[in-house]
Amino acid sequence: MSKFGTLYVESDSFFHKMEPSLKLLIFVLWSIIVFMFLDVRINIFLLCLGMVCLSFSKIPFRIIKNLFIVVTVFNLINAVFIFLITPGYGTMLTGKTTILCSFMDYNFTVETLFYIITLSLKYISLLPMAMILIFTTHPSRFASSLNKVGIPYKIAYTFNVIFRYIPDIQYEFKTIVHAQAARGLSFNKDEKSFVKRVRNLFNITIPLINSALNRIDHVTKAMDLRGFGKHHKRTWYNATKFTKVDYIVLVISVFIFIAFLWFKIGNDIKFWYPF
Amino acid sequence: MSKIEFKNFSFRYKNLKEPTLENINLEIKDGEKVLITGQSGSGKSTLVHCINGLIPFAYPGEISGQLLIDGCEPCNENIFEISKKVGTILQDQDSQFIGLSVGEDVAFILENNMMPLSEMRKTVLESLGVVDMQDSIDQSPYELSGGQKQRVSLAGVLSSRSKILLFDEPLANLDPASGKSVIHLIDKLHRKSDKTILIVEHRIEDVLEENIDRVVVVAKGKIIFNGQPCDLLTSDVLHKAGLREPLYIEALKHSGIELTQKHKIDNINNCDDTRIKEGVLNWYQVDQVIKKNNVKSDILSLRNVDFSYQKEKKILKDISFNIRKGEIVSILGNNGAGKSTLSGLIAGILKPDNGEIILNGTMINKWSIKKVGENVGYVMQNPNNMIVKHMLRDEVTLGLKDRSRDPKRLSLKGVLNKRGSVKKGFNPFYSLKLHVGLQLRNMSQKNRDRKKVVHARGIENKYLDIIKTCGLYGFRNWPINSLSYGQKRRAAIASILTLDPKIIILDEPTAGQDYRTYTSFMKFIKELAGLGIAILIITHDIHLALEYSTRSIVLSDGCKIADDTPANVLSEKEIIEKANLKETSLGRLASIVGIEDKNDFIQYFIDFEKGQK
Repeated sequence: MSKFGTLYVESDSFFHKMEPSLKLLIFVLWSIIVFMFLDVRINIFLLCLGMVCLSFSKIPFRIIKNLFIVVTVFNLINAVFIFLITPGYGTMLTGKTTILCSFMDYNFTVETLFYIITLSLKYISLLPMAMILIFTTHPSRFASSLNKVGIPYKIAYTFNVIFRYIPDIQYEFKTIVHAQAARGLSFNKDEKSFVKRVRNLFNITIPLINSALNRIDHVTKAMDLRGFGKHHKRTWYNATKFTKVDYIVLVISVFIFIAFLWFKIGNDIKFWYPF
Repeated sequence: MSKIEFKNFSFRYKNLKEPTLENINLEIKDGEKVLITGQSGSGKSTLVHCINGLIPFAYPGEISGQLLIDGCEPCNENIFEISKKVGTILQDQDSQFIGLSVGEDVAFILENNMMPLSEMRKTVLESLGVVDMQDSIDQSPYELSGGQKQRVSLAGVLSSRSKILLFDEPLANLDPASGKSVIHLIDKLHRKSDKTILIVEHRIEDVLEENIDRVVVVAKGKIIFNGQPCDLLTSDVLHKAGLREPLYIEALKHSGIELTQKHKIDNINNCDDTRIKEGVLNWYQVDQVIKKNNVKSDILSLRNVDFSYQKEKKILKDISFNIRKGEIVSILGNNGAGKSTLSGLIAGILKPDNGEIILNGTMINKWSIKKVGENVGYVMQNPNNMIVKHMLRDEVTLGLKDRSRDPKRLSLKGVLNKRGSVKKGFNPFYSLKLHVGLQLRNMSQKNRDRKKVVHARGIENKYLDIIKTCGLYGFRNWPINSLSYGQKRRAAIASILTLDPKIIILDEPTAGQDYRTYTSFMKFIKELAGLGIAILIITHDIHLALEYSTRSIVLSDGCKIADDTPANVLSEKEIIEKANLKETSLGRLASIVGIEDKNDFIQYFIDFEKGQK
């Protein structure tokens, strides 16, 4: 968490300076490419490219490491389930069966293993770009940028308000939970009976919701009083500008995207399997 | 030319039967600085909402008569047009701070007015300059104190260049020193600009420290006073309206001095008049009252307690003190001094790094929140954050039902399980067992029923007892939502009293409450202390500390810097400065009339007041 209580990590890298809407566009194009192919070569290429970009972004290694661990664990679980539920999926895609080992009725095939590796790499290769988007973009700049590319400002500003008040509401929730726990309504390990814990949790939600609604009410009035929603447009203090570099990046990204698209149309492979 | 004009104005909220404002006639001229005051529920907030446009746009209702703001009728405009004319600085600084950084927040109003970026940056810097906050332009709200947030809000409104500034309880959440500097800043702004300034506040003493042109007192939806501060202070309007007079004025009135307009006593420095001096000195006799040293046993002790959230920075350092039974102790100190952390430690929410917390002779460092909670009650500032049930009875008895149920119930499981095996074949042995078992079950059922009845009756009796103590007996069958804010507070305390706590911690119990509500609430707290419950009050309100606590513990920067009677603490210059407190007007009065022993004078005043009540 930064001093703003958001995920934004303050720094001055190439990506920090990049126009937020461009980052969003690159992320969208990147995701389209990732989902277009089931090709391990492309996924490895994207992952490497992503890692290079990530190294430019000056995001602390600690954050990168943790997120990679989370995604890898998720992938492992996913892999186990695919093996258990559809062990023959690789064969279905390739039409070949190379049995690795079998256990009772299950045949674990090389094809399915390869499919799982491809799939996991596919998910992981999404990660670098997502991280760049999330960690190098200041919420206010993101909001103003979204507004610039045509999203109504009332929707775009929601990002700001959410990021602004999440820590406040968190803090308030914590205080309420503690005060209630002191009163005997706790739902952590203090309370031994599970039924009571659930009941306490249910009881506490009332003041929690109450406080959150209250906060929303106050904030809305404060915004009204300062003229939010007066005109159809608004200007932004944290406005961003397309720089020359941004245009160059835009052209390069679109070019790469078209190249991938062309490759996809030219080679209609559903699943790339080398053997 | 008048900026704001009410003519025979009345307003009734849509869901209320009676009008909240009745026949208001009020005129505020261009460039005036006016204090609007009144008890909670007097209609002063409604008046504010009428001026800033929330009425009729956010709160619908029925309006009669006329209201002109800068020559326009609000109901014919929209809220944005009014917000251009009237800049409102809200009471809740956190909700008012919308931007993610100081600069962004100040710019908010400009953004909505579609000001071009280059001009916007310039205006933001200018406005921040007026409130002395230019250096904080890139800071986030989490790095600012309450007073600083207030300044940012002010800059945000200044940037819009609206001619009327409306401060809605600007002192409510600030420590005394920050409050003083905000009032000073408002005054500076008024002198340097041509703005019309309205301050809505019930802490009259603090507002009157700087010059005010006019005071308007609202009571029961009507204006009962509209005139100069010195006229107000010499009359008994404030007393009748249930508001607090400045302490030094009370002292002057106690001394029986006949106050006239001539004295201009709205400025405390004018108390150096010889007649006033003589009067005060006559009233104050230095008589050595033998203090009753009725030392009771300690209920809570802290010994060398340290605490830190992260290892690097200690929030509390080497804190030691004792709390005795039935004592009311106030904990004072600036924002961030560690007051809430300290209460968290005592309530068992936080665990100390070093040191001991001893309750009734037992060390409770490692106890769970729940177990500590059975002994230490924690009452939050906002009662709505504590209330979980619909009916008052359910809310208050919730803890009772939960705790006193007997866990050792006679288990018949073993016997009844055997029942299944009986069917398989006849076995006299089993049938005998079954018979005995069923008998046992019947007996225990009866027993349990009886116990339940006794238990329920016990709960009910206790409920009624507590509800009587809390002055809520008349509401015993009511839903909580129909209680007033002050009554909800009592309900929150009632639900804690059911657990028979030894200590109750009150977090800012009087914030935003007018004198009458406050007095009756504190009287109730005193009664609780009379029952032997120790009360810890965390507060910024020095009047509260002075009048109701027997001892003040002052924190500054995580250290205990004083532990003495409030009168002593509040006449010690060094402590006042370190802990962002403020000298009381009594102390100033004492030095003006030439009394050397200030704290004795303050103590004399408190004792005198106690004697009168």
